[in-house]
Amino acid sequence: MMTVVIGGSKCGKSSYAEKILDSFTGKKFYIATMIPYGDEAHTAIERHREMRRNKGFDTIEKYTDIDEIYLPKGYAALLECMGNLCANEMFKDEEITAPTEKIMSGIERLKAQVQHLVIVTNNVSCDGIAYSKETMEYMRIMADINRRMAEIADNVIECVYGIPVPLKGMLL
Amino acid sequence: MIMITGGAYEGKTDFVKNHYSCKITDGKSCDFESVFTAECVNNFHILVKRLIESGQDVLAFTERLCKENSDLIVITDEIGCGIIPLEKDDRIWREQTGRAGCIIAKNSDTVVRVFCGIPTLIKGEL
Repeated sequence: MMTVVIGGSKCGKSSYAEKILDSFTGKKFYIATMIPYGDEAHTAIERHREMRRNKGFDTIEKYTDIDEIYLPKGYAALLECMGNLCANEMFKDEEITAPTEKIMSGIERLKAQVQHLVIVTNNVSCDGIAYSKETMEYMRIMADINRRMAEIADNVIECVYGIPVPLKGMLL
Repeated sequence: MIMITGGAYEGKTDFVKNHYSCKITDGKSCDFESVFTAECVNNFHILVKRLIESGQDVLAFTERLCKENSDLIVITDEIGCGIIPLEKDDRIWREQTGRAGCIIAKNSDTVVRVFCGIPTLIKGEL
């Protein structure tokens, strides 16, 4: 099974994504994609670690190349978050590359390995502001990836100020 | 408590005017203390900005609000669905609005999201 949890900034998507796997009794992996760079990133990472404490997750830090992850069959994984992974892949070299296919093949691989794959992603395209060419390209690729993930996901849940709203499938 | 949310100019205030008879206090300009006895506070996201600028603890204020004025109608924009702002103050505002909004939503019996003037009930009942 695959579930996508989407929302804006601080909308409760992480808490909800973790809650989905509360009842999962097997081993759970947390795939962290945020590079610990700068004070704000460290604060965010520490806050998320605190939230996950005692919830039985094994953390895997993978900032790019999620297609290299191998997980034993039958477990669950929570990947957080697509916004960081996409930016890390896009802006790692001087030349911007479109990582859609690479990321999607990684997602497909993970989905085939685990019993339940939960992915936290971001809605980044609703502020109506015209940004630089690079940022617009990031918004386009994020939207592409979100659409592609939604196609293969069983459930797509949007979080609005902490309230889960089912867009596809059902609430878990 | 009732929460009405959605993007800017989507019809949130009109929805409140059409469904409830209440006096609307504007979070853009009101006295902070007046919110604790108000019937409805509009532009809660701007109130958050003003609270930050005056050095107040937004989350403590919001918790107190939920406790002391549990019949309040809160109207707030959804502002988190975009690119992370370049300015640190904007990032703090956006994040605190998200967190405060989660507290309001949790304490609300009813949450309505208005989009293109169309209300969608996302929590409780009307």
